[in-house]
Amino acid sequence: MTPTEAIPLLIVVLLVVSAGGGDVDEMTVTFEGANTVETLDDVHVVAGGTSTVPANGSVSGDLYVIGGTARIAGELDGDVTVFAGNASILGDGVVTGTLQTISGDSSVADGATVGAVSSFDPPTPTASPARRIGAFLLQFLLLAVVGGWLARRRPALFDNLGHAITEHALVSGVVGALGSLALLVLFVYMAFTLLLIPLSVAGLVGELLIVLYGQIAFGHLVGTRLPIDRPDAATVAGIGVFLLGIELLGLVPYLGAIVQFGLFVVGFGAVLNTYFGLQRFEPVSIPDGAVR
Amino acid sequence: MGSEIPMRLTTYLRERQWTTVFGYLLFVALMVAGYYYNLTFVQLGLIDLGTRLVGMSETAVSAWMAALALCTLLVAVVTGVTMDRRGWSTDVRTKLRLLFGVVCVQFALTLVAPHVRTVPAFGAWIVAASVGLGVGFPVSFSLAIDLVPVPDRGYVAAAITAIAYFAANAVPLSWSIDVFSRLMTAAMAPGLVVLAVLASGRVTRVEAVLSELGGQHREFGRGRFCYPDPVRARSLAFAVPVVLMFGVFFVDSLGFLRIIDTPSLLLSSWQSPDLATRWVIAVAHVLGAVMAGVIYVNYPMNRVFLWTFALFALTHVLYTSDLRVAAVFPTLTAGSSSPLNPAFYAVAVSFYTTLNFALWPDISTPETIGTHSAIGIGVAGWLATFTSTALALYFQATELPLLSHLNVVQALSLLLLFGLAVGLYVRRMVEIAGADGGATA
Repeated sequence: MTPTEAIPLLIVVLLVVSAGGGDVDEMTVTFEGANTVETLDDVHVVAGGTSTVPANGSVSGDLYVIGGTARIAGELDGDVTVFAGNASILGDGVVTGTLQTISGDSSVADGATVGAVSSFDPPTPTASPARRIGAFLLQFLLLAVVGGWLARRRPALFDNLGHAITEHALVSGVVGALGSLALLVLFVYMAFTLLLIPLSVAGLVGELLIVLYGQIAFGHLVGTRLPIDRPDAATVAGIGVFLLGIELLGLVPYLGAIVQFGLFVVGFGAVLNTYFGLQRFEPVSIPDGAVR
Repeated sequence: MGSEIPMRLTTYLRERQWTTVFGYLLFVALMVAGYYYNLTFVQLGLIDLGTRLVGMSETAVSAWMAALALCTLLVAVVTGVTMDRRGWSTDVRTKLRLLFGVVCVQFALTLVAPHVRTVPAFGAWIVAASVGLGVGFPVSFSLAIDLVPVPDRGYVAAAITAIAYFAANAVPLSWSIDVFSRLMTAAMAPGLVVLAVLASGRVTRVEAVLSELGGQHREFGRGRFCYPDPVRARSLAFAVPVVLMFGVFFVDSLGFLRIIDTPSLLLSSWQSPDLATRWVIAVAHVLGAVMAGVIYVNYPMNRVFLWTFALFALTHVLYTSDLRVAAVFPTLTAGSSSPLNPAFYAVAVSFYTTLNFALWPDISTPETIGTHSAIGIGVAGWLATFTSTALALYFQATELPLLSHLNVVQALSLLLLFGLAVGLYVRRMVEIAGADGGATA
């Protein structure tokens, strides 16, 4: 696991340890190779390679697995939490606390002793059609309420956004791709400073809102092409059609994802370029270069 | 109602103006070849030549490279000013002949480089190379006013950047002077023949094409930023871009030289044995160039600079953050590095390279292109690159740790970003104060 790949999960571990009153300064991390854990400084993170509590060993502290493999053949007085990778409690191994598997794999051999075992099954949208439809309807409802209201009260916003999307799709796409990616990386790295976590979370939420606003703008554009006279109703219908189209695109392998990404960055860029629709985007005027 | 700015090239293709289209191709080919040569042979090959074959210390090589920079700058300024004063800047045939001479010199230098073994020979090689470079870049950049229409310069600059960096990264090459020499000799030979034909003045059909191209500067010559008045070399409108470009070249070179000297960072990126990693970087360069081209064409100059500085600052935040993580968790230093960092770096580099190709012709007229491109690229490009190279090698000689070195680079990039933002804000404030004559209630 590379530093960059490890950072998001390390952040999660840092947050969990901090929230639990643990001492972050005492945290150790292994990234590769075969390591024998004979002493533990409060918290140990396995990010790669294999870390083993030997059969005759007894250590006290919590173990987090975010990559690689943790093997417990001896006694661990604490909890084991698996975010990714593998954790194996071998025969005669003892974990006095909880073996919690958020993601990744864990196994408890016959003869091993574990205080408690719990696993977290994240909701998978594809697992249940009803849940998926529910999420879709919730998203539609939220966007429709905001979109309908804006179409009725502030139609000029949509004029500017629509103009940026239709007339300057390339510029919007470039700014959207650059802006969204750069901001995403920035906010993730802000979180790693711990001090800036609130700003990081606010920034990520802000990015999500920009994406949703872009979707509303697309919905409005679709709505103007529907045979509906009332602008708010047309926008609501357009948002529905657009979201449905996005869902259908998801069924097309590769190309569907590319088109989805393209729509996402164009919408994002259009929102940024127009200052959330407050100002019409016009590119600079370049003279032809004739010497007069 | 405005719409996406179309490339003029599409109009020329539709109207079958093949001579003008040939001008585009010629300019792109010349600049790609020149930049690839500079990128590989000069910037990377020279270090290998000095340290491995001649046996000099890195500090000594850095001193010679600084000398090369100064010498190149002086030759360039003399060449540029002479071009403008004698009217060579508006004579496409003279420029092609000069370029042919430069490529001949560079071809000879490329052939002899792997055989240089002594310090005096290395010094002579440096002096000859600096003369070639100093004459070459004002001449080649000045061809933009003959061959590339103003509205298309951003896109053409993007194409040059994308092709040069893609070739430099996607094709796996060892960074040694012998390898570069063999490749360059093979690549330059056909180019030399083409330039010889263009410069000969003896092929009737070529002469007809050159006559047509030679008159295009009246239509394409006045740069985008020369309205309503032409930019003068002794003006803030010229000095500010020079200083900003100097800053970005300096930051890039200062950081890159250390990164490529760190095996764990280099082998997981630009010299990765995994071809996929190199392709990620090559594609990032292309994407960065395209994005820069689009932004250059659609936004004012300051926005492009802001994006460039922001990308550099972010890139170095990524690098230094990784190193700080490694410092906290020492076991990490043995691990591989993510391609995300070099990919971001590639985007940032493509951004400013694209800007560099388009900017100097765009703040020039046919009467000033020689001087402006010489000073602009000489100070911003060569002087910055080689002084920062000298500083980078000095840092290494003093055994400055990697994190401390990149920390300096990060500080500089953040300073540039902050400085530009403040500068733009203050300029706007001054404009408002000037327009209103003071505060209004």
